[in-house]
Amino acid sequence: MTATTDIPLPQPTELSRPFWEAANEGRLTLQRCDACGHLRWTPQILCTNCLAEPFTWVDVSGRGRLYSYTIVHRAPLAGFEIPYVLAVVELEEGPLMLTRLVDSPIENLAVEAPVEVAFTRASDEINLYTFRLAG
Amino acid sequence: MRKVNGARDIAIVGVHATRQQKKSGRTVVSMMMESIRGALDDAGIPLSEVDGYISYIFPAGNGRGFDDGAIAEQFGHPIAMTAQTSGAKAVLLAGAAIRAGIAKVVIIPAAGAQSLAGDMATYTRPTFEFTEWTGSMTPAQYGIMARRHMHEFGTTIEQMAEIAANSHYNASINPQAVRFGDDVQTVERILNGRMIADPLTQPMCSLVNDGASCIVVTSAERAQDCRHPPVWVLGGAAETHGNSYFEAPSLRMLGTRQLMIDGFARAGVRHDDIDIVMCYDHFAHGPIVQFETLGFCEPGEGGAYVPDAIRLDGVHPSSMDGGNLAYSHNMIPYNFKQIEVVNQFRNVVEDLCPGWREGVHTYDRAICRKVRDPKLSVGCGPLTDARHAFTILAKD
Repeated sequence: MTATTDIPLPQPTELSRPFWEAANEGRLTLQRCDACGHLRWTPQILCTNCLAEPFTWVDVSGRGRLYSYTIVHRAPLAGFEIPYVLAVVELEEGPLMLTRLVDSPIENLAVEAPVEVAFTRASDEINLYTFRLAG
Repeated sequence: MRKVNGARDIAIVGVHATRQQKKSGRTVVSMMMESIRGALDDAGIPLSEVDGYISYIFPAGNGRGFDDGAIAEQFGHPIAMTAQTSGAKAVLLAGAAIRAGIAKVVIIPAAGAQSLAGDMATYTRPTFEFTEWTGSMTPAQYGIMARRHMHEFGTTIEQMAEIAANSHYNASINPQAVRFGDDVQTVERILNGRMIADPLTQPMCSLVNDGASCIVVTSAERAQDCRHPPVWVLGGAAETHGNSYFEAPSLRMLGTRQLMIDGFARAGVRHDDIDIVMCYDHFAHGPIVQFETLGFCEPGEGGAYVPDAIRLDGVHPSSMDGGNLAYSHNMIPYNFKQIEVVNQFRNVVEDLCPGWREGVHTYDRAICRKVRDPKLSVGCGPLTDARHAFTILAKD
């Protein structure tokens, strides 16, 4: 991702603010249920496994595999510079994450390829959790 | 427990589709009211008898919206049952409400006028903090699913192009199709089409156009006095297991296929007995995942099975109208899958056969899109990565 100025930036909510604050420090965090230990993404008020409410934000490895991807040639908004790679990453810890791949040559992309979180700074508050092919 | 699935007690008795077209300049409400009047006229039931209404709610004039209150106000009489969905799921809900005595005549209108806003749909791009920044959009979401299917099962892009070509071909002999009269998209043209979200080219993506449709559902008793023979709703199934377009798209629907397969058993119907399968060709991979999820083939077999199965003379013809890819995608195209089954059952199928108005078909596939003598069919929709529904429809 090169230009991040003209794309719609995330507006953190009360629920998601800790995630974005961690991202700002270069950490990828997920909610872990205090009752059953289930990790969930995206942020939810209740555990998606056991419906318990208490949870803790925990750092995850930022490593995973490419579940699948697409190279987008027709952007929904002018601010997105084409082509770009929209991807679903299967985190080592389990959850699927919709994200963007950066710094990854298109000819090297392959489903199941190992990936790692890259982070792309978009503003003082927002550090986007992009991914890239792992070296 | 009283056995209700498989009984011939609930019927589709009226259907109507307005002209489907690009940039009609018409309002959603105007098209929707035309479709309601058309479907009630088709059924021979006056609006005063309608006491059930199922449709997605959308903004109408002056910010009032078309919610249950606005509908009752507009119709000038009480509405006993309202719900928000469409297509197969709405038909199943209508049947349940009628069986329970909550409503007697349920209408299921659906309308959209999206294309004035541009040639790309906006409704699957939520302004959600974990989606919007990624540049996610509808074809990209399904491009991801298509590629995953290719990886997991060896499905090929040529197989997906064949499925798209079936829809485009059928639209070329359906004068009601939005793409009627355009150059026919062959497999080769589809593969070489403008790339939207790799591997999906433009002819593998749904249309964006205007139009409306409506279905009328009632009891067997009320159906006796209607204008056409009833189309029986024998059963079906519906499931929602996630928040499509907000969450990461995946093939996890295949993990819940037993919920769909159980619907056939409840209705006392075997897959082999089904003629038409009006599946949901929102993108070219869609029918593959859907045939697998419904249990017509095993997960992974759809790529080889579906392209031949869905042809006009195949074992399970589909998208005979041209489908979402080439007939109409008016934002909410679910009803069309039911309507095409009804039209095929009734032998009211507009194509290029000189005698189609009289129900005389040639079965020459250069001009004819009529399926030979269908009696038992499946009508699908909605279908996303996390929502699915179908009905089993029968004629006497």
